[in-house]
Formats: sequence, C-alpha cells, structure tokens
Amino acid sequence: MSQQSGKLGIREYVSIVILMVGTKPTGDLPTALYSMVQSAGWMIPLISAGIFFIPLFLLVKTMMLYQNQNLFSIIQKLFGKYIGSIVCFIIFIISSSIISIDTRTYTNIIRTFYFTTTPNLIIYSILMLVCAYGAKKGIQHIGSAAYLVVYYAVLSLIIALILSFQDSNIQGIFPFWGPGKLEILKGSSKSLYIFLDFFLFAMLIPNFQSTKDFLKGTWVAYICVCIQISAVVLVFISLFDTSLGGIAYPFHSEIRYISLGSYLPNVEIFFFVIWIMGAFIRFTAFLYINVQMFCHIFKIKDYEYLIPAIATLYLLIGSIPETPFDVGLVIKPIITNVVGPSFALISIILWLTAWLKGEFKHANNKEMV
Amino acid sequence: MPTTRKWYKAFWLLAIVCLLTGCWDREELEDKAYVIGLGLDRSQHEGKIIVTMLLANPEVGSMQGGGGSTEKPREIISFNANDFIAAKGTANAIISRKISYDLLKIIVVSEDFAKEKDFIATISDVLKDKEIRLNSYLAVSKEKAKAYFKKNHPKMETRPHKYFQYMVQHGVDNGLIPDSTLFRFFTAYERGTDLFLAMNTSAEVGKNPNVKGEDEYLAGQVAATGELDDTQFIGAAVFKKGVMIGKLTGQETRTVNILDDTTNIKDVLIDIPDPFSDEKKQFAARIMKTEDNKVKMNLKGLKPKIFITVPVKIEIMSNPSMVDYTKKKNQQILKKHIAKHIKKVNDDLFKKSQTQLKGVPFPLAIYARKYFGTIPEYKKFDWNKSFLNADIKVNSDIEIVDFGKTTKKH
Amino acid sequence: MKKRLFKTFFNELNKTPPYNEKSNELEIQLKEQDISTHYEQSLTTFKSIFSYPQNTDIKVREFTIRSLNRRAFIIFISTMVDHKSIQDSIVEKLIENQVPSGNIADIISYPMERTAANIGEITDYICGGVTALFIDGDSQCYIFETTKVRGRGIEKTDNEIIVKGAKESFNERVADNIGLLRKKIKNENLIVESKVISKRSRNDVFLVYEKDLVNDKLLQKIKERLDSIDSDKILDLSILEQHLEERPRSLFPTILYTERPDRAASYIEEGHIILLMSNSPSCLIMPATFWSLIHSPEDHYLRTPYGNFIRILRFAALFVAVFTSSLYIAITNYHVGMIPPDLLMAIAGTRERVPLPSIIEILMMEMAFELIREAGLRVPSPIGPTIGIVGALILGQAAVQANIISPIVIIVIALSGLSSFIISDISMNFAIRLARFLFIFAAGFLGIYGATAFFMASLFYLVSLKSFGIPYFAPMTPHSISSKDLIVRHVPFKERFRPGYLKPKDLVRQRKG
Repeated sequence: MSQQSGKLGIREYVSIVILMVGTKPTGDLPTALYSMVQSAGWMIPLISAGIFFIPLFLLVKTMMLYQNQNLFSIIQKLFGKYIGSIVCFIIFIISSSIISIDTRTYTNIIRTFYFTTTPNLIIYSILMLVCAYGAKKGIQHIGSAAYLVVYYAVLSLIIALILSFQDSNIQGIFPFWGPGKLEILKGSSKSLYIFLDFFLFAMLIPNFQSTKDFLKGTWVAYICVCIQISAVVLVFISLFDTSLGGIAYPFHSEIRYISLGSYLPNVEIFFFVIWIMGAFIRFTAFLYINVQMFCHIFKIKDYEYLIPAIATLYLLIGSIPETPFDVGLVIKPIITNVVGPSFALISIILWLTAWLKGEFKHANNKEMV
Repeated sequence: MPTTRKWYKAFWLLAIVCLLTGCWDREELEDKAYVIGLGLDRSQHEGKIIVTMLLANPEVGSMQGGGGSTEKPREIISFNANDFIAAKGTANAIISRKISYDLLKIIVVSEDFAKEKDFIATISDVLKDKEIRLNSYLAVSKEKAKAYFKKNHPKMETRPHKYFQYMVQHGVDNGLIPDSTLFRFFTAYERGTDLFLAMNTSAEVGKNPNVKGEDEYLAGQVAATGELDDTQFIGAAVFKKGVMIGKLTGQETRTVNILDDTTNIKDVLIDIPDPFSDEKKQFAARIMKTEDNKVKMNLKGLKPKIFITVPVKIEIMSNPSMVDYTKKKNQQILKKHIAKHIKKVNDDLFKKSQTQLKGVPFPLAIYARKYFGTIPEYKKFDWNKSFLNADIKVNSDIEIVDFGKTTKKH
Repeated sequence: MKKRLFKTFFNELNKTPPYNEKSNELEIQLKEQDISTHYEQSLTTFKSIFSYPQNTDIKVREFTIRSLNRRAFIIFISTMVDHKSIQDSIVEKLIENQVPSGNIADIISYPMERTAANIGEITDYICGGVTALFIDGDSQCYIFETTKVRGRGIEKTDNEIIVKGAKESFNERVADNIGLLRKKIKNENLIVESKVISKRSRNDVFLVYEKDLVNDKLLQKIKERLDSIDSDKILDLSILEQHLEERPRSLFPTILYTERPDRAASYIEEGHIILLMSNSPSCLIMPATFWSLIHSPEDHYLRTPYGNFIRILRFAALFVAVFTSSLYIAITNYHVGMIPPDLLMAIAGTRERVPLPSIIEILMMEMAFELIREAGLRVPSPIGPTIGIVGALILGQAAVQANIISPIVIIVIALSGLSSFIISDISMNFAIRLARFLFIFAAGFLGIYGATAFFMASLFYLVSLKSFGIPYFAPMTPHSISSKDLIVRHVPFKERFRPGYLKPKDLVRQRKG
C-alpha cells in the first residue's frame, strides 16, 4: 500500500498558501498600507501582485526546468557552490528574522487583546510548541490540517467582513488614487514582501505529488490570495476610514466591534479561535520551510530532531525586543522594505543565469529527443 | 514501557499544575463587579474628573424561583479620579469586587464637561482599555452625570443593563436619538469633516415644559406625568472635533438620521401637517427608509452644489380631515405636500448646520471624496470651509405604500 | 540515536524475569510423527495426548468393524460434537454393516470425510470438535467434521441500534457469522480465509474480503500484521484489535469494531477487509478512517435528507460533546465579555454562593456523569432505571439546592453528556469523552487560547494518524476519488466510486447513466 507519504496535493498546498498569505491582513498589514497610501490601500496588494508576477513567473519557469529539486539546490546549481551557498544563507537569515518578528507580532496581538496579564513568554512558547509539534509531523500533515481549517477560516473572515459592512461606508475608498498614482506605485514596490512566501514555497517542490501541482497551485493560490488581501483591506478602509491609520490591528478591533444583534453582542472569541488556528498553521508551515532551508544548507538529513531547537531559537530571537512598538515600528519596516525587492531580484537573476547557461535550450532539446 | 509511564506521570503533573496555578488571566466571573454606566464630570480639582460608576447587582432579577434577593439591583459610586481606567483600582476601596468594564453599555458625560477642551483627552482612554468595547454608547446629560445616575430610577427595568439596552435600542430605532457609539465618535473625530451627534439625555424635567410638536423636544422637555421615571432620551448633542458645541432637537436628530445612511433606523412615526385642513391638523405617518440616499455634487466653482435625493416609503396612519384617499387627486396633493414638508425640514436643518453649527452633522463629506482623484486635491478643496457656502438641495423620492386601513371616507 | 540510548538504558533496568520453562520437546516431537498402523499404539498415543480418562469429556469408543473384521476406535470431545450424528451415521453403520467392503466411505453415510496421518494435525482436528476414526492396519485416520458448538442464536443488535434497516447481529458462532455475510454477498469472489493466530489456545481468525476488489498490498499488510502476533492466547476480537493497531496507546481508534453484518458487508463491498473470530459476536473492519467511525449505517438507510440531517446533528453533537465544557470554562474564566449581559448576570448571580471554582465544578459534574453512566451499565437490569432517576435527582436538583453546583453547569454537563451518546462507535465514544477532559484542562490553563492550541496540536496528531497506511481523514485530505460520503452524503445513485484511498481493483461501483 503506497502511503502517499510526505507528498503534498494541490488542495493542501493552496490551503497552506491561503492561510499563510491570505491571513496577513488580519495582522498589521492594513494599517501599514493605509499609512502609506491612505484610501488607495486596497489597490496595493493587487498592484504588488502584478509587479511580483514577473519574478514569480520567471522563478516558476526556472523551477520547472528541474523536476523535483528545491529552490536551494537550484540556486546552488546555477550560482555555483560558494555564491549559491551564500545566497541561500542570506535567504535563510531573512526568512528566519521574518518568522521571529511575525510570531512576536502575533503574540503581541494575543496579549494586548485577549490575555492582558499573561506573560508574553507563556503565550509565545505555547505558540512555538504547537508549531514545532506540527512541523515535526511533516508538510503533508500540515497541509491536511490546513485543508481541514481553511474553509472555516475563509468563511469566518467573510462573515466578519459582512457583519462589519453595515457600519461601513464604501465611499471611504475615495479619493480613488489616494495620495497620487506615483505614490501608489512606490508603495506597491515597497509592499512586495506580502507575496514573498511564494518565493519560499519553491523550497517545497520535492514534496509535491507532481511538479505540475506546484505550478497550478501557485497560480490558483496567487489569484485567490491577492483578491482576498485586497478585499479585506478594502473593507477595513471603508469601515474605519481615516482612523485606520491609528489602529494597530484592525482585524481585532473590528471583531471586537461587530455583533450579532443585541442578544449576542460580543462574538470576537469565535473569530479569534479561527484566526489563531490559521496562525498556528501559518507558522507551522513557515517553520517547516525554514528548517528545510537550514537542513539543506548544512546538509542535515534528519530534520525532525532539528525542529524543536530551531523553534526555540526563533522564540528567543523573537523575545529580544522589549515592546510591541519596537517590533512593529522599528524593526519590521527595515526588513520588509528590503525583502520584497531582493527576493524579486534573486528570482530574476536565477532565470537570467539559467537562460544564459542555456538550460532552457537543453530542456527543449531533451523534450525533442 | 517505563518511558510511557513517565510520560503519563508528566502529563498528570502538568494537568495538576494547570489546575493549581494562578493562571494569569483567569478570574471567576462572580468575582467581578460589572459597570453598566460610566459617568464623567468635571471636578473642582485641577486636572481631575469625577467618575461615577453604575454597577449592576447580578443577584437581582436573575434567580428564577428560589426566593430571589432583597438586595438593591444596583450600586452607584462617584469619586474624584485622574482618569476612569485607574479609577477601577480606587473604586475597590468602596466596592468589594474587582471592577470590570466588560459590560459597559453607556458613558454619560455632563454637558459642561463635554464642552471642555480636554474632554477628548479623557474619553480617548477608552481606546486603551481592553474591556471597553467601541460599541458602547456615548450620551450627554443636561445635569451632572453624577446626579443623572442617582436620579435615574427606572420603574420597570430595574436591572440597569436591560434598561439602557432597551432605551437606547428603541430610541435609535425611532430616530429620536442618534446611534452614538464610541466607534462612530472616534471615526468622526479622526475624519474631522463632520460633526458627531451624541444622544441627549436627562433625568431632570424642566420646570415649565411647554408643549411643542410631537418631536421638537430636547431631553428633559417632554412633559409627561404619571407614575414614571423622569429620565428622557431625546435629541442630540453636537460635537465638533471632540468638543460639544450645541444641541439638536428630537426632530432634527431624526432628520439627520434619515439623511445618514450609516445609521440603521427602521421605521419612524412622525406627524406631518395635514394639507386638507389648512395645516392646522396633523396626520400621522410611518416613514420607512429601505434604500440609500442618492448624493450628487458639483464641487467646481466658488459655490459647491450638493443634491441629495432621499427615497422614502410612507404609510399614512391617520386621516384627521377625513379625506377620501382613494381619489387620485388627493393622493397627488398628499404626495406633493409630504415632499414639501420633508424639503422644508431638511432645508431648516442645513441652514442651521451651515450657520449655527458650522459643519454637517453626518458624514456627507465622504460623498464628496469621489469627485477628487487624489488626497492633496481633496485637502485643497477643504470641505469644512466649502461646506459653509455650499448650495444644498434636498429632494425626496416619495412612495406612498399604504393609505391606512380604511380607504373610504366616513 | 538518543532514543536508542534511552531504550537500552531502560531495557537494562527492566529485564523480563528469568523463569524455567518446562520442556515440552517430547510432545512436540511426538506431534510431528505420523500415526502408526498398530491399533494399540495409536490408542495409547491419543489417550496420553488427551489425558484420557482424566479429561472427562474426551470420549474413546472401541469396537470391531464387522464387515472388515478389524478393530477400530473413534475419539472425540463430547462437548463439541453432535452425538446423534456420530451414533447414527458413523458408529451404527460401522458396527451393523454386513456387506464386505474395503472402503470406509462406502460404509459410513456421514458426508464430510477426510483423511489425515500426522498426529499433530489430527490432534488439532479433534480439539476443534472433529471425530477421528482409527482402524487397525490403516496408516491414515478418518476425520469427520461432526462439530456442533453451543451458543446463542442470531439476535438483535444491542449496541448499534437503528430504527430502519436490518436488525440481526453477529453472534459467538463464527459459522453463523460467515453465513450472515454470505447471505448478503452472494458472490464467488467472497473469500473466507482462515488463520490460526495464537500458539496455545489456537484461536482462529477469518479474513473475509472480495478477491476482485481488495487491494493486494493492503491484504498482504494485514496478513503480515496477523502473522507477526506472537501470543499464546487471543480470546476475543477486541483483544486482537489491540494487537493489530499501529498505535495501541492512541486515544483514537483506527479499526472499526461492529456487530452488524450489514455494515460489515457494505464495507466488504467497498474493498475493505473484515476479520471474524470464533467466540466474538462482532467483526473488525480494516482500515477505518475518521469518517467510518463517525458514520452510522442508518445514515444510508434513511432517505437522503433525513440521513443528512442525522449526520449534521451527529457532527454538531460531536463538537458539543468535546467543546461545551471547555468552552464554558474558557468563557466564564477568561472571556467574560463574550457572554450576553443577561446570561452573564444570571451566571454570576447563581455562582455567588457556590463555594468551588468553576473548573472544579465542571470536573466534579463530569465525573458524576461518568459515574452514573458506568453504574447504569453495570447494575443488574432490574434496578437499572432507578440508578438513572436517583442519579439525575441527586446530582441535578439536590446539588443545585445545596449550592454546590450552579444550575448552568448542570445544563452544560447534561448537554455534553447527552451529545456524547450520539457517537455510536464505542471506541470513538471513549475517545471523545476522554478528549473532553483534556480540553477542560487546556481551557482552564489558558482560556480559549489554550483550548485552541491544544485543538491544533490534536488536529496535527489526527491527520498524521494512519490506519494500515490510510490517513485518518482520507479521502477528504489527502484527497482521493470517492463517492464523497463524508459530512453529507449524496443520493445513492450518485455514489459511484469506491473509496480511492483503498486502491481497490475496481474503483467504479456504478457506471454513469
């Protein structure tokens, strides 16, 4: 009996992506977008997606050349052993810092909104504990869990948005071009980091049932996600209008505000549960990818034993900043501004190298033969 | 296997530890005292406020059978404090349980405190508190909030949370008070282009209230006698940039509510002068608003022009001059008259808002936004200034859905 | 590496105590031989093997076959055979037959005849209720399957009660059980394969499957698992179940245990493999997924809308059973703002005089409920109903009046207790009841966050659970072709596929059109 072990199907992949990328606007993303371009914030995800499409397309095309090889082995193959390893290491460092910051941000959200007197460390370690356990189970099982959760996550997000709709005003998205078209374009290029996860998903290619699933799943998820992010930001803009700039975590302010009639006035826990479930999946998958990177760089076979150690490491790194403000206002912008463009650049250079080396021709020749 | 036994032991140990730890945020719900209403007044001491807390007694009215309790349904305390967050601690000198704002329904501010500049600084604390929700209501009382809570003695809803829930809910449904949640207060404040309406309430009835049209009252002016509670909710207090600047009567509030698409009014009962009796008599009508207004603007030139079309459905409830509504002609007269009446009411309102209040009491400005491509252009237009000399025309799109139960002339 | 070190360390600590086994080498050697042609020798051999006459129900009857004029004896276990047929068709015929004929088959009218020579083999047969005939001078012994064991008849199901559909259930006689299955699947491809699994009591297990459906690898896997069992005795199918499971310590079952032949038959039709065992009034269905453990046969017997209503009700009940108590703890202790004001006031009002923290309150009542349930099961049936009444009365009314428990807790417990009954599978039912306690602890520890974290961890665990290589949530995730009979089911004629995760030889159950 073949166990289909460790292989990721397209459904599972798409659900992981939706939970990883699509839940981003439930954090501090809308606020960041709003403070960048105000009323045109909802356009940024769409335009960024458009800009990021080119590097992603090239990346996927390059990846398709080599069946069943992950991103790092291709980088090492194309850039040579030394430069390749350095690039891989840089990517690993960047994505490590992102996971540390993001988990810390989520811990802050949980603490500020729901558990005010619980020590940060407790909340944080439980988060990492569950993620480490999940990551240990392997990507197929993360995918299965994601698939079981994703419908409820999307449904609850939609319900939350619909409930807030009666208090919002669609006119909030005007003036249409926000601070000006140029600003939007600038903002979009700064916001490429929204989609950086797609770049990292190329690490998972050997785990797919077929590389075609990756290709198809990536584009399906890409479209879903950019619509989802844009829609969520749109609703937040029309609900909060100008006060969005001052609300750190609009999703949580929103679910605290909405109610299901006067008999059930406060329903935030219902949304919180599903939100946190999505967050667990998100960081589990992220942790798994990071551990895969680490294993690839240092040529370690048994990744399972590494996971607790790396999770603890992230926990410690994430605990360094003292206040939520340090995380959200000082460190995060630095990383996010660098990450998007640099990853896009790496993808393009990868493709260029492959093209110059004539790999595409080889592939064609192979097909001909 | 010994390893598994070890795991089991560890598990049970963990379970017991979980049970026994202080568990940070864990609190039994009966250990808390729930604040339903919060009153804010100016204090004689510099930089301080008087905080009044209306606490509900959970034991009253919740026991089915079982004898019930002889305790009072509520407790009120007032004291000087720097803000109402730290006041939770101070209140524990008087109240035996931990003060919680989880059930806070309404914040009542006295008129003179609302008119102060530092009011906005005080009220902004609600954004910082974890327990206060932005769907709590903001109300302005004519008298001191301290006195207001003390005088408020509902006869039927002795449990305070129920009283305020019903009072506010039905007031908003009728359109006599605005839907003044804290959320709306802060969005209006941040936006800065429109005025915010807070509900007006009072527990003191004025000395000689004069009888006016059915809804042209302010809180404390409705002359009602009998065995009742003196508290009234009617009309609105107008806030501009977080400071109270004036008041609107019940009728004006209702007009604003009809104009404002972001509030959810259901159907309101109003009196309209009867066209068939030289406007001496008035007939009752139910106004239903099911569609959004259509707002068109022409913002070029010195005098911006704003056209608002209000679609309303009207149900005629009474027929004081005994006219036969089955005749097409009468229907036409009626329709025209209602349109005229609505136009007049709205014109009065806009006149008042342009001259007296110097701002529009509902988010009209956001309709203007779509006429501008970018934010700098919009800022240059400066709504707050332009609005004052704007030419506003309100039309109504009336559909009379029903002429009452009887159609024939008696 | 670390694990291995630990293991060796603990093995050092925990060796199996040494004991001196009595050697039975002689007996084993004896059993490997063939019977001798000498009458007397055979007689003594078998008498010694069966400890005759110490062993009272071993019967040996010696006589002379008149027509052949040779000595002969039959040996059987009297409690396991049909006396009348031995008397009528074996002994009488042999003794009274006058016609000289060398052929035993011509003399004896008893239908099932076979010959055997190996002593061990013959011993096994006799233990199974067979009558063995030894004739002087013959190197073969004649075997007659005269087995007749006593047991219940076919009765109604006790534990998986349904309103609509077949009512008969398996009983302790495996022949009846196989018959019940054959009755439902009249197909020559239905294979009943038997296997002896334990060494001492020699319990046999019957694998039932359809040859042209079942996946060979899966079958191989199950057979290997059966062969790898190394035990002296496995008396019941439920013990075999524990031997077979991949994770016997797991909270969640991975094999479906049912007493309904109709259910077993429907799984055989889908390409599953069924295990039957003598003396067990049930069968094991392998592999089992989460869905098969949650479903009930009635879902399919009822018309589609009704069946789906029951399904949805059951899923709701599943959630209620697992989460109500923990949700109550989480919300009342951590997230008070969630409760509608009226309810909050009511709870706070009634809890004012209760001396216990709410988590203890809940645990106490959960324990009490489990006690009532267990006690109700064990008490002799005449006083059974009183237990229910007394329990409900004492625990409900009195506890509230004594201010030990607040009334809302009674509602919470009653609701979750009642819901737990709706899951009909016994193992799943236990899993849910136990999981509930874990969730209560998690919620008591960190409110809804603790409970959700625990839920996510268990979700990761559940999706990684496998039953004979089949993921627990298949075919939902990982996806495979199936008739989509998961949460809601289609009308029967739309259910066109057998579950794809089993990789059956014939996937399509019903062609289109």
